[in-house]
Amino acid sequence: MTTVTSTPLDPRARDRIRSLRRPTLVVGLVVIAVAAITYARAGDSNAYLDPNAASPAGARALRVLLEERGVTVVPVTTSPAAAAEAGTGDALLVDTAQDISAKDLTVLAQSRADLVLVDPSPSALPVLAPWLQAVDTAPDEPRDAVCTLPAAVAAGRAVTGGLTFSELATHGEVVSLCYAVDGAATVAQARLLDGRTVTVLGSGSTLTNDQLANEGDAALALNLLGAHRTLAWYVTTNTVEDTSGTASLGDLLPRWVYPTLLQLFVAVLLLVLWQGRRFGSVVTEPLPVVVRAAEATEGRARLYRRAGARDRAAQNLRAAALARLIPLVGQSRAANPAAVTEAVAARSGRTVPDVGALLYGAAPADDAALVRLAHELDVLERMVRHP
Amino acid sequence: MALSRRLALLALLGALVVALTGSIWTVLAVNAVLLIGVAADLVLAGSVRSLRLSRSGDTAVRLGEPADVTLRISNPGTRRVRAVLRDAWPPSAGVARPRTSVDLPPGERRVITTELLPTRRGDRIAERVTVRSLGPMGLAARQGSHSAPWRVRVLPPFTSRKHLPSKLARLRDLDGRTAVLVRGQGTEFDSLREYVPGDDVRSIDWRATARAGDVVVRTWRPERDRRVLLVLDTGRTSAGRVGDAPRLDAAMDAALLLAALAARAGDRVDFIAHDRVLRAAVSGTSATELLPALVQAMAPLEPQLVEPDWEAIAAEILRRAPHRCLVVLLTALDPAPVEHGLLPVLPRLTRKHRVLLASVADPRIAEMAASRGDAEAVYDAAAGARAGLDRRRVTAALGRTGVTVVEGSPDDLPPRLADGYLALKAAGLL
Repeated sequence: MTTVTSTPLDPRARDRIRSLRRPTLVVGLVVIAVAAITYARAGDSNAYLDPNAASPAGARALRVLLEERGVTVVPVTTSPAAAAEAGTGDALLVDTAQDISAKDLTVLAQSRADLVLVDPSPSALPVLAPWLQAVDTAPDEPRDAVCTLPAAVAAGRAVTGGLTFSELATHGEVVSLCYAVDGAATVAQARLLDGRTVTVLGSGSTLTNDQLANEGDAALALNLLGAHRTLAWYVTTNTVEDTSGTASLGDLLPRWVYPTLLQLFVAVLLLVLWQGRRFGSVVTEPLPVVVRAAEATEGRARLYRRAGARDRAAQNLRAAALARLIPLVGQSRAANPAAVTEAVAARSGRTVPDVGALLYGAAPADDAALVRLAHELDVLERMVRHP
Repeated sequence: MALSRRLALLALLGALVVALTGSIWTVLAVNAVLLIGVAADLVLAGSVRSLRLSRSGDTAVRLGEPADVTLRISNPGTRRVRAVLRDAWPPSAGVARPRTSVDLPPGERRVITTELLPTRRGDRIAERVTVRSLGPMGLAARQGSHSAPWRVRVLPPFTSRKHLPSKLARLRDLDGRTAVLVRGQGTEFDSLREYVPGDDVRSIDWRATARAGDVVVRTWRPERDRRVLLVLDTGRTSAGRVGDAPRLDAAMDAALLLAALAARAGDRVDFIAHDRVLRAAVSGTSATELLPALVQAMAPLEPQLVEPDWEAIAAEILRRAPHRCLVVLLTALDPAPVEHGLLPVLPRLTRKHRVLLASVADPRIAEMAASRGDAEAVYDAAAGARAGLDRRRVTAALGRTGVTVVEGSPDDLPPRLADGYLALKAAGLL
């Protein structure tokens, strides 16, 4: 009945905070570094014709060239912003390869600025350049200007392609078709009655970083875009906005559903934390070996059965029976089979050949014979014990 | 730190509030309130670290009997500690209710009794005491652990004690208390006393009669002060399970009964447990101290999965028993280990000592040998018969070297071993 006292196993809160100081510092530094890198690379994107992107598909090179010539390039992402940035005398570059909504197109059509359409979508062309129709597509390859458009003539041979256009009926607009392919143009410009120009490029690849250095591409792009004070650069990527379709699931649900789901999530999280917290460590214990002592004998029985070892099985049963019978009939262990057979036969009252076949006979032919043998040995033993 | 069920339920209730107001701000407000509650609880909860724990109670218990270990917990701090406490023990210590609630005002102390009902022999060591101290609102708790070491040694149950009275009665028949007047084997001269009518006239000592002038007879009594060395084999064969317990436990039971009997008979009993190395030893203990010393030595023994080194065991026996004694080998009668390990070293032992081999038999093998009916049962019977024949062969081989073999199921072995000892004693073969 001795007494022992306890020692606490957990560190003090102060020590715990101290031990956490270094990891916290490291994690904090990593977070700050990641934030800084993310901020620094914020302009880097791989978007097609993005004026901030330095990737092959971007258009940063053109933007830099334009800014060196005194053009203010303003990237915009919504149509109202585009209309607001580009007034009379300014240029508005629209990449409409992406789907663009009818509302956006209407806003753009009302702009007072010169329009440059790049790879116009089927819905954009009738609204923004109704005097043109798309004919076909052509691969990007070097072509001669073959037109009277000053910008194209000055630029000379350039790599163009994409959509090709032909002229529809006009209402006084002067249309120039340049860089022709099979009678259709890959670059077209219309001078409207109010003096604005609308230029259509079949493909934006003429303006991208990796194509700008080819042939007269840079000259063509600068001639088309560089004559303005301000260039509003409207990239429609990721600005798809569908207001005409049906309402989404979120609009149909009552407004209390999402906050309630959030609170339920918090509650479930707390339930998990309540149940998940262990009440001290798990106590382990080395367990003793569990091998049954009869395992080897049982294994031997299974081996006999699988191998169909009737001869060995019969031999064992007979030997065990003999070991019990020999003392009962007063023979010695070393007695010969004939003497034992005779003694057993005399004691049990059965014939000598019968007992001989049972005790020293051949191995049974099948399992049924083995079962019979076991039974007959039992019977013989009973007869010897109780003659 | 630990969170409570109450906190989770309050958060669920909060979901109801949020559903009624339908605003994301309510979510923030509800959780802010809960967070403040948790922080307040953690700050205001009584300190776990400053608690003082101490233990006292049983240090040894027989297998199958309950033991009580008390845990004294005092709160020297300034805050009330409302806590749930877990006294962690290994599973086989059989702690029924490891968790207790305690309410400890500052400066007070409580006594908690942990009831153990061990399910296995050996040492059970208390792991740790974990305390979860709840804050006043019951939303969150501080949690910490204390090491309060305690060891309960679970002793062999000695179930064969019930055979002791009958064996002692047999012993008294042999013993001097019922003095025999006939000289025979296994008796030694006890005393001379006056003749009383009814005494055997053949026991009259004429020489003493002549000297004393009265008729004097000699009395005899069985030999005393013989030596018995119990050798427990803790090798791989002792690991085999017979029924619910390993062979080792049955062998211990038999050894304890024999030791109790031999100590009463006035013999000196020593004990060793050995496989490849010596695992435990008891020697030179007085008769009254013997049984406690034996159970203490046996309690932590576990079967080792190694082949026993009989050379080393024989050397150990010869070193510990310089004079003639009864060597009781508690091992298994498996043919391979006996034929290859034990038989070669036996002549060295039998030259000087009387050797008795006690083996725990598996009743399952007898059951297999007797099974009949279908082919499966008969193959079982054949394998059982083979095992029986092998044992018979080994027993015969042991008999030829002068070793007496006692075999029995876990229940039968202890009385049979005691009978074997008594027979040897009666025959004066010790």
